[in-house]
Amino acid sequence: MSSGHGRVLGMSYLVASVAGVVFFVLSVALLGYWPKRVLDEQTRAMGPEYVLELTPSERRGRAVYSREGCAYCHTQQIRYLASDRARFGAPTLAWETRLDYPHLWGTRRIGPDLSREGGTRSDDWHYTHLFSPRAVVPQSVMPAYERLFDDAPDRPRQQARDLVAYLNTLGRARELAGPEGEARAEAGCQCPDDELANMAFGGELNAHPARTRRTHDTPPLLPAGDLARGRQLFAAHCATCHGPTGGGDGPGATGLLPAPMNLAEHQYAPARVADVLWNGVAGTAMPAWRDHSPDDRAALVSAVLALESTRLEPSLPDNLMELGQRAFRANCVQCHGERGDGSGSAAAELPIAPTSFVRQRPTLSAALRALRGGIPGTPMAPWTTRLSDAELVAAAQYVRTLYGAPGAESR
Amino acid sequence: MGQAKPPSASLVDTGLVHAHGLASIVTLLIAATFGIIVSIQLLLPDFGSNVAWLSWGRLRYAHTQGIMFGWLGNAFFAFLYHAVPILTGRPVTSRRLGLWLFGLWNFAVMAPGWVLVLAGVSQPLEWAEFPPIVDVMVVVGLGLAAIQFLPGFFARGLESLYVSSWYILGALVFTLLAYPMGNIVPEVVAGASGAAFSGLWIHDAVGLFVTPLALAIIYFVIPAATGRPIFSHFLSMLGFWLLFFLYPLNGTHHYVFSVIPMAAQMGAITASTLLGLDVLIVVTNLFLSLRGTGFVPRDPALRFVAAGTLFYLIVSMQGAAQAQMAVNQAVHFTDWVIGHSHLAMMGFASFAAAGGLVHAWQRIPWAPYNARAINAAYWLMTAGLVVMVSDLTIAGLLQGQSWQAGAPWVESLEVTRPYWLVRTLSGIPLAAGFLALLWGLTSGPRGAGLREVENGVGVEPVAEVAPRLAIASSTVETS
Repeated sequence: MSSGHGRVLGMSYLVASVAGVVFFVLSVALLGYWPKRVLDEQTRAMGPEYVLELTPSERRGRAVYSREGCAYCHTQQIRYLASDRARFGAPTLAWETRLDYPHLWGTRRIGPDLSREGGTRSDDWHYTHLFSPRAVVPQSVMPAYERLFDDAPDRPRQQARDLVAYLNTLGRARELAGPEGEARAEAGCQCPDDELANMAFGGELNAHPARTRRTHDTPPLLPAGDLARGRQLFAAHCATCHGPTGGGDGPGATGLLPAPMNLAEHQYAPARVADVLWNGVAGTAMPAWRDHSPDDRAALVSAVLALESTRLEPSLPDNLMELGQRAFRANCVQCHGERGDGSGSAAAELPIAPTSFVRQRPTLSAALRALRGGIPGTPMAPWTTRLSDAELVAAAQYVRTLYGAPGAESR
Repeated sequence: MGQAKPPSASLVDTGLVHAHGLASIVTLLIAATFGIIVSIQLLLPDFGSNVAWLSWGRLRYAHTQGIMFGWLGNAFFAFLYHAVPILTGRPVTSRRLGLWLFGLWNFAVMAPGWVLVLAGVSQPLEWAEFPPIVDVMVVVGLGLAAIQFLPGFFARGLESLYVSSWYILGALVFTLLAYPMGNIVPEVVAGASGAAFSGLWIHDAVGLFVTPLALAIIYFVIPAATGRPIFSHFLSMLGFWLLFFLYPLNGTHHYVFSVIPMAAQMGAITASTLLGLDVLIVVTNLFLSLRGTGFVPRDPALRFVAAGTLFYLIVSMQGAAQAQMAVNQAVHFTDWVIGHSHLAMMGFASFAAAGGLVHAWQRIPWAPYNARAINAAYWLMTAGLVVMVSDLTIAGLLQGQSWQAGAPWVESLEVTRPYWLVRTLSGIPLAAGFLALLWGLTSGPRGAGLREVENGVGVEPVAEVAPRLAIASSTVETS
């Protein structure tokens, strides 16, 4: 090796070493600093003016979430992909993450993405699920966080409350920004021709298949459900709360308020069950099951209908009916409606929709139990102070006669 | 260059090689235990869940930090104590500094890092889970390592450095620069922007710390064990510089289809493709250097290193492929990626580190050495790894398919369950392999490794084919 060659070689190493550092700096500039500037600008142009800070409780909940490694199974980043958008909703915008110190995007999705978890499930569902995940989702592989509770799902400690408070913030800022917020974001994006960027807009904000809705856009029920398949699905997805025979006594039931419906003591119109499977029951832990195929939902409807107890109901004297009707008209119509179809004038104000007796017939004992004790966790209060015992029995019998009234399927 | 001189007792501090070597395997066993427990918890989720420090999330944090800093960190240091004096022709800076570095790395980084993470003091950032206070210790440790190992290279002059020296220099310098990217920046830069910086570190942790040191070992062990120079010094250096140019530019490929600007994503994807080409250059050079040693080299150190090279090729081709949008949308977020990271850290890096460790151990005249156990370790680790990675790759494809089909979420768990069982079972040969490695380096007659080297364990097959390689070898003897 000549010395001239050596000098050139030495110089080239020096150049290369400098270049190495330059490339590293370049990587930070191009893949760190420049994206940050673009994202900051996007945040300014597209985000709502007022930043929705977390409360102290929500911040503590975020710390629990971070500490327990939740982000290593649950991503918080909805990608600009049709499959992500269909399952979880609008892809994550930069401004939505502006308070995430540090980000919790994650790179593995063992459980579902949680970017839009707020408003997807009820608090008691979350508590029950955190306390014992398999009590509500039998196939779940999530660890139980019993240690955040005092031995029962309905006795959450501070940390569990904080954690659920935090979960309820996920996606909240964008929901609260409302249509104005979406319009501002879309205008600020300045990307009318960017197909990918536009995926963030226009679709459903929270498309989670379990999210409950009070609207009734249920697709038509397929005529005949496969009962065997339905029973299989019921055992796999429903029995945890509703119990193996639909008695409302599954392992997940203990922490839920209102308690899961006792399906055996109700007669359901098929459309009512289809409606609940599509929309869930807003205000309760009953999620929607929109991710199941139409065939599977029809099968589930058959399985639920087949749970009805075949026990004969007592027949009561006719003169009671008139008493029942009077009591119902005087006390119940505001919520349950004149025809008992749940369309009373106050219905829309209630956190949980009143029962439509037209589409759902309780047994006499179930109706009487509700009248005497109310339905805990719902606006349905006990009526023992307002109605005499005879009136209670009469009203219970009366609501049973409303089932299947003509015109009732219109809702 | 290339021809490693026989280690001189006066240059190599065998005590520090030995100490870091044992620490590496002990931390490997602990970190692997964490990994096995979390894999069991995916099958039996209630296992350990009401003991806070045994819960999935915390053990998962401890698992990867343990593998990277405990096992690979210590194994790399053990190798550096062996290789740096040979590469520079002078001892490392100071034995006293060595003791400090050993103490700091194991008792101010690993031990408190694990304790704090398991106690719930951590950061939810990948490859950066140790809390900031431990991060400070890591930076101090890397600084001490730079003082310990680097001065000799500068004393020697950059123009006469062997490629391993370059990798060592690059790794220690750039890890110091990159470490704050993932460990500190996302704590002060929010959300999507923070994620962009996280992406840099997720990749740099593997690309600027693990990969260069693993390659330094491979480039060192091949010529040292075969007694033959590396095939092409030019290709070595080309590979080195391309790697250092391209690796940092890969970061954003961890967030494809995210809100991070598409230009950054596309840039990272392009860099990933080019990196795949660079690895082809590196691996071609390494395989050509290995010619004639047989498919399964006799020297266990060389064998580990050869397998590591093969895994490096596979994992890099896989990496370049999965950065492409069409592949990424099907496999991102699935177990495919978990398989990929095990192929990188367990296949490539750990096989290289084990090779470096065994190579250094053979040359400690007073160290016990049990060839049979090390041989067993090789086969057990290979079997476990191949099963695990294949299994997770298939599982990932099935998960992606289930998601794309819009099936209920839990169906993606149901299809995975049998694969998770196989993955856990694949941990048995892996863990047995690690135990065998520990056994191989702590049992057997003292100095048996050196005797084996002197008997030509790595060289003999080469002698048979050397005439065929004569031309190739002579053309690269230019520097």
